[in-house]
This record gives sequence, C-alpha cells and structure tokens, in this order.
Amino acid sequence: MSLLSSIRTIAIWEIKRSMSTMGKGILPLAVVLLLLLVLVTAFAAESGLHLQDGMYRIGVDDPDTARIVASDTRFVTYLDDGASLRENRFSYDIVIINGEVYAVDTDKGRAALNTLERDYESYVASVAAAEPDLFAAYPLWIDLQYVKSEIDFLATQSGQQVGAPVETKRPPTPSLPVEEVTPPSQGKLTTEEELREHLIESGDGQPLKRYTSLISGESTTDRLLTPSELSPPLPFDTIILVFVFIFPLYFTSQFFMMSVMNERVGRAGEALLSAPVRQAAIVVGKALPYFTIMILIAAAITLFARAPLTILLPLIPVILFFLANALIIGMTSRSFKELSFVSIFFSTIATSYLFFPTVFANTHVISIVSPLTLVVLAIQGDGFTAMEYLYSTALFFATSIILFYVGIANFREEHLFSERRLTSRVVDFISTGISRNHPHVSLFLLAAFMIPFVFMAEMLTLVLFFNIPMPLSLLLLTLTAAVIEEFAKSIGLYAIARDWPGFLTVKNLLIGATVTGLGFLVGEKLLLFATLAQITESIFGSILFLSLQALWMPLLLHIAGVLITGGFLLLGGRRAYAPGIVAAGIVHSLYNLYFIGGVLL
Amino acid sequence: MNRRHINLIAKKEIAGLSSEKTIVFAILLQVFIAMFSSFLMVGLTAMYDPESIEGYSTVTYRVGYAGAESPLIDQFAKRDDLILYRMDLGEALAALRERMVSAVVYVPDTPPDAEDPVTVTLYLIQNDLQSGVVNVKIKEVLQDYEEQLREIRADRLIYSPVELNFPDSGGGESFFEFVYGLLIPLLVFLPAIVSAALIIDLITEEYQRQTLETLLSTPITFTEVIWGKIAACEVLVPLQAGAWLILLWLNGIPVNNAMAILLHVSTSGLVLILLGALVALHYRERTSAQFIFSTALVVVFIFVMAVPYNPLNLIVRLAVDSIGPTHWLVLALVAAATALLGWAITVYAHRVGEKSP
Repeated sequence: MSLLSSIRTIAIWEIKRSMSTMGKGILPLAVVLLLLLVLVTAFAAESGLHLQDGMYRIGVDDPDTARIVASDTRFVTYLDDGASLRENRFSYDIVIINGEVYAVDTDKGRAALNTLERDYESYVASVAAAEPDLFAAYPLWIDLQYVKSEIDFLATQSGQQVGAPVETKRPPTPSLPVEEVTPPSQGKLTTEEELREHLIESGDGQPLKRYTSLISGESTTDRLLTPSELSPPLPFDTIILVFVFIFPLYFTSQFFMMSVMNERVGRAGEALLSAPVRQAAIVVGKALPYFTIMILIAAAITLFARAPLTILLPLIPVILFFLANALIIGMTSRSFKELSFVSIFFSTIATSYLFFPTVFANTHVISIVSPLTLVVLAIQGDGFTAMEYLYSTALFFATSIILFYVGIANFREEHLFSERRLTSRVVDFISTGISRNHPHVSLFLLAAFMIPFVFMAEMLTLVLFFNIPMPLSLLLLTLTAAVIEEFAKSIGLYAIARDWPGFLTVKNLLIGATVTGLGFLVGEKLLLFATLAQITESIFGSILFLSLQALWMPLLLHIAGVLITGGFLLLGGRRAYAPGIVAAGIVHSLYNLYFIGGVLL
Repeated sequence: MNRRHINLIAKKEIAGLSSEKTIVFAILLQVFIAMFSSFLMVGLTAMYDPESIEGYSTVTYRVGYAGAESPLIDQFAKRDDLILYRMDLGEALAALRERMVSAVVYVPDTPPDAEDPVTVTLYLIQNDLQSGVVNVKIKEVLQDYEEQLREIRADRLIYSPVELNFPDSGGGESFFEFVYGLLIPLLVFLPAIVSAALIIDLITEEYQRQTLETLLSTPITFTEVIWGKIAACEVLVPLQAGAWLILLWLNGIPVNNAMAILLHVSTSGLVLILLGALVALHYRERTSAQFIFSTALVVVFIFVMAVPYNPLNLIVRLAVDSIGPTHWLVLALVAAATALLGWAITVYAHRVGEKSP
C-alpha cells in the first residue's frame, strides 16, 4: 500500500471507530444538553448573573437616594433615619446622610465608593437623557478618530518606557512632511433622536458588555460619544477573540489525545500496529480527522465573527502544535488521571505562551512571538507580511514537526505498552533517537533539534519576566536561559547514562560534548538567522542570543557546559545530574553576565 | 458499606496520585499561575475595568490642541500629567503619527451657550497601550468640561437629579472588586472542577483497563470502591482551595471567613464530583464521559450563576465579609442536594455492581 492510501484507510477507520464509541450513547444526551444550554442561557439573560450580589452594604436615609442603587445588585440597601445610620455607621460600607456620602476607609469602602460613583453617573445620565433639550444636558460630544502610527517601536524595543516625555515649552515639530488637513466638519453628524436613542441603550454599564459586543462585531467608533462613554481602545479587546479561537481547538485536540491513549489501554492498539502500514501512516491517519475538524471549527468561528479568512493561516501551526503535544501526552501518560493533569498543565503553559505576548500586539516587537498576534493584527485589518508569518510560526512548525517525528518513531509496541514513569518514558523516547551505531551523529542532531524547544522555553521566561524591573529581569533571564540550555544539551547524555552506561567514558564524553555543543550552535544559528533576527535587535534578545557575535566563544561555552554536566554524570552517576546542570548553568550565566556587562557598561 | 473499605480505596487512590507525581503537576500549575499573578492582575483587571490602567502611569503626556480658543484649554491647564500644545491640525496629526504627542484634540468655534452641542474631535493612536492611558486621562478632562458646559446651559434643563456629595476618594481602588468578585470565586472553585474531572478518570480507568474484577475479588463491594474514589477526590478540594487562599494571602489579599469558604467549596465540589461519578458510571469510557460532563458543567454553571445566593456568590460575600448567618441555610440546602445525589449514586452503583460483578 502506498503511504497516502494507508493514511486514508487509517483516517476513515479512526472516524468510524470514534463514531461507534461516541455516537450512540452520546448524541441523545448531547442534544438534550444543548437544549438545556439554550434554556439556561435564556434564564441567565432574564435573571442576570448573580456573582457579585451583595458585596457592599449601604445605609441610606432617603428613599429617592435608595433608588439610585436599587438596580445594582452589588449593593444591599438599608433604609434608616440619619441618627441611627450615624450610630451604626461601622456596620455599613457606605452611608448617605442628607446627600453626603461617607465611606469606610478600607479597600472595600473605597471600592464601594467607586461603584457608587459610577452608579450615580449613570443615574445622572439617565435623568439627563430624558431632558427635552438634549444638547443642554449633553452639551459636549466627542468624535473619536484613530490614527495609525507609522513608525515602529525602536524605543520600546530597547526596553524604554512607552512615550517618555520631554519637558519643553515648545510644541514638538514632526520630522516628516506635514499634510494639509481639512478640519472636521461641524455639521451634526447624527440627528438628535438617534443620539437620544443610543443614550438610553448604553445606560447600563455592564463591564463585560463591551466584550460580548466585540464578538458580534458592533463598533463604537462610527458615532458620536459623550465624554463618559469614552472607553480606552485597549489591545486587550481583541484578546477575547483569542479565547474564542483557542479553547475549541484545544478541546478538539483532547479527543485526539484520548484516541492515542485508548490505543494503549489494554493493548487495544496491537491489531493496528500489526497492520501492514507504516507507523507514520498510523499517526498521520489518526491525526488527520482531528486536524480537519479543527480547521473547520476555526473556519466556522472566523465566518461567524466575520473576520478575514487569512487568520486561518497563523492558526494552522497552533493546531499542529496542539495535535503534536496531544500525541506525545497521549503516548507518555500512564493513567487517565496523569493524562488529565499533564494536559491541563500543558494547556495553561501553551495558553500563556500564546496569550501574554498578544497583550503587546501593537506596542512591542516581542508580541510577534505568538501566532495569535497575527490573528489580532488580521482582525484589526492591518494584516501581516510573509516575513512576520515566518517569524511567529517557525517555532511552532519546527516543534510540531519534531514532536510528530518523535511520536512516529516511538509508536511501537515496546514504548506504547510500557508502564514506566512519565519522565522515564520521555527519556525512553530520547534514547530511541540515539543510534547505537552512530551515537555522535545522533547527539549532534539531538542537540540541533532541541533548539526550537529551548527557544520556546526561553521566550516563555521572557514573557514571564517582562514586567519585573529591569536589572532584576535581566539577571533572572540570564540564569533561567542558561539552565534551560544546559538542560537541553545534556538530556541526550542523561539518556545514554541511563540506558547505555558503558558508553560513558572520558574519551566518548569529550567527543560527545564537542558534537553536542556543535549541534546546538548550528541549530541555534540556523534558526536565529532564519527567523529571529528581529527579536535579537532588542536588548532582551541580545541576552538570549548573546552568542551571535563570535562563533568560537559560544562553541567553547556550549562544549564546556556539556562537559561539566557530563563530568558530573560520569563521576556521580545519574544522581549527580541535577547538581551538574546547576553547576553548568552557573558557569553559563557568568559567561553571559560578563558579556552583558561588556555590552551595557 | 464498610467505612474501612472506603478508607482503603481512598488511600489507594491518593497514594496512586502521589506516586505518579500527578499532584506535582497540580502544584506546579498553581505556582506557575501565581508567578504570572502580577501580570494577570494588570492584564485581567484592565480587561475587567480598563480605567484602572491609568494608575500604572506616572508619566506626563503631550497633547496637541487645534482649532478655536475654548475653556477646554483651562481644563487641561489644571492637569499636571497632560501638557497641552497649541498646534496647527495638520502638524499635530503628523506629530501624533510620529508619537511626539499622545493625542490631538480639535475644538470647533461653537460658543459654550449655543443651541447646538460642542463636538470635539479626539485623535488617538489606534489600538495601543499608551492610547488607553491617555484616553482615560483625557476622558476626565472632557467630563469636567462637560460639567462646565452643563452649568452654562443649566437654565435650559427641567429635571434635577438627587444631589450627592462624594468625599475625595483620591483615585480608584478597582482591584478590589475584580479580585474579590471574580478572581477569588474562580480560583477557589478550580479545584472542585479538577476533582470532578479526576473522578471520571478514576472510574473509567477501572473499566477500560479491566482492573475492576481484581478489585472486586476482594471483600470490597463495588459501591465501596466508588465511594472510596469519591472520598479521595473530595479530600483534594479543600486542600487545593486552601492552598489558593494561602497563596492569595501571601500576595497581600486577605480573605475573610476562610473556613466557611472551604466548607462551601467542599460541599459544592462534592456535588460536582458526584455528578462526574454518575456520568462516568453511565458511560464507563473516558472520552464520552468527559465530553458529556464538561458540556453539562457549562450548563450547571450558567444556571447556578443565574440564581441569587448561589454558592459562588456566597464565596464572594464571605470573602468580603458582608453576609450574616444566611449562608448556612444555603449550605444546608446544597448539603441536602448532595445527600440526595449521594443516595442516587449508591443505588446506581449497587445496581451496576449486581449486574456485572
């Protein structure tokens, strides 16, 4: 059978099988649940969400004042006369006596005061909206216009504060030629009736409302606003779409994870493994239906949100990444509960990696680390270039392909049905990758293949330390980057020390360290030159990828690092592995710090 | 049912959890989220209440002013965090594009007491963190100006709202509502959901790995096995929720009535665990059970949130210490529901156990 036709066979078989295990029992209940969901949503819309009910107690001496907060369920209102309110003032968060507002001087009191002020604002607004002379009640209207900034963010790249001011009395003069602009016309852009109508509509200030309207594609910029309606145009707005896309995709990848796991439970996959098809066909064939479903889901959401279909492009590597990880997790977990915990853990980390950089979608070049930034850009209508696509998706493609390769290579009986621990199974997988005939070539390739994972981990630390003050964040970044790199380089040696202790001689260690260092360097440079040149321009990048300048220095460093860890392994056995990594990490950091010192001073 | 047997099973499951180091992942997860907490605070609070980000900025911003002379200039002069520059509109917009100013306002020559409204045009940089901060600051200026214009046109108004005089609060404290009203109930309930997913894994695994027969060849009955697993999952709920409360406390977020909160979470968590057990007993296969359970979970959560005095709301109220003994009543109700579900599980498990030993 050719590879393609066997992939097809496996894919069809996979669909049929999941239909038969899931279909019969699930469909009726799923339909019932869906109906219930509709009913419950309607009920919730009717009754409102009662999460923050009764957070604050407010004492009021006047029924008219009480009416201001009557519709806000966050307040529990007590009506009493002024004297007894004054007496019991400490059992309330806020008391209002004769129109004077008193709040308890605690965080809670201040928060209550804030909420009350907002309620009062919307109360005043609702009174004003009923005025016959609308333009006396709302004398000021804002026409909000957005301008695209044309320069990129060289200042923020070097870690400077956004918009650092220069104290001058003179107005700044732009360096680019000034275009003639006609002042905005002062004709009424909207009629009085329309304005009044939207004032009544926007009366209730639900904090989450702006996000729901975002998905349904409503926009607030095409009409006039009152000053209190101005809400900041935060990049966070588009983030909600990220959640809309990522969670269904992640959820679907769970089915693939489970399907892989099911092959292992009770050796169910034995028949499949003995079929006359290659392992690659089995894995790809099994993954294909899920990949298709995920693409369809993403496309459906895109169409529903009326977003451009180009956002599917950056989602493809994300889908592949989810599937690749689902494959590995499904192949390594020993039990269902391990599967659950590991996948929850993975999803949190993956989501943070995808989510946090997008917060800086428009301010910092770091944001391009996440493919979802491209989604945000595409939704904004800015689009992205092929180069940016390469930058932000290369790591995802590379890691997915490597993980799929590892999965396929290990999709064999002895690994699928073993009952070893998670960590030792991972080492198993790595150990499979080390050829007994050409161990040094394997170590070289292994080191090179570790690079995308190292970069991903380092990017995550970069995001993690992003908002820690500058010198400390640099130090932490240097330390963690060093430890991550040393770990990645030595994992191959560790696998050898475990499964093939006889190999670990002084001579072999020297050669092994050299090829590992070389492989690491080659992989690093390849990926760097191909993709991350942009990030290396920032000061953060120069710490992570410091070793770009001269080639022999980092090579020596990498070799030395592996030698230190390898030496620990050689002398102290596997128990000495962790101290070895720490020692190598310290040496590595010192080297890096020395260089940063040179760069900064 | 024999309590010793249940204990035995529960101990076995917990030992399994710790020997597999899965619990390590759960702890790592908590630490990981806690590490992100500062970022989470800034990011999520800003999502919840965009105006809070103003507090993060101590910088002064430059604003370009174009158009006619107006009292708005004096309003800007009152602010020390905004510097106003009179500029030509074209020049100002060019400067904005180069980020030499952070915003541009264009004011028409409409007199303050005119029939028509004053329509100010505000130019900001599109979708940018800094614009968010500037927007909030300018909003305050414009609101003051609106107030001023309203006073000028006051004789044309007929309604008068109730007057309230607010004390000078000195800036917003908007973390509070987000942290206590959203973050705490979610974090504290997370372990309950995790445990409910865990019971499905524990039960379906016995079926799919066909280990049930070995287990039942001992004097332990099927019902006892199920209850043992439920007990193991239930123990984790207050432990993990308590860990969250301690982490929050270490982060400087004290939570009131911690014991009562843990009681509520444990009881409601038990409802979820029992639901999970019921689904798992019905399907005996993980994929189907998890799928149905997670869909059902969404339904249950939306429903519960729509009911006043729901357990999540009670956790909020308890955390900010603004509820009296009423919550014990709700706790009793939830406990009654739990007992009912528990009875249903016992009967169901008994029937399943009889049919397939």
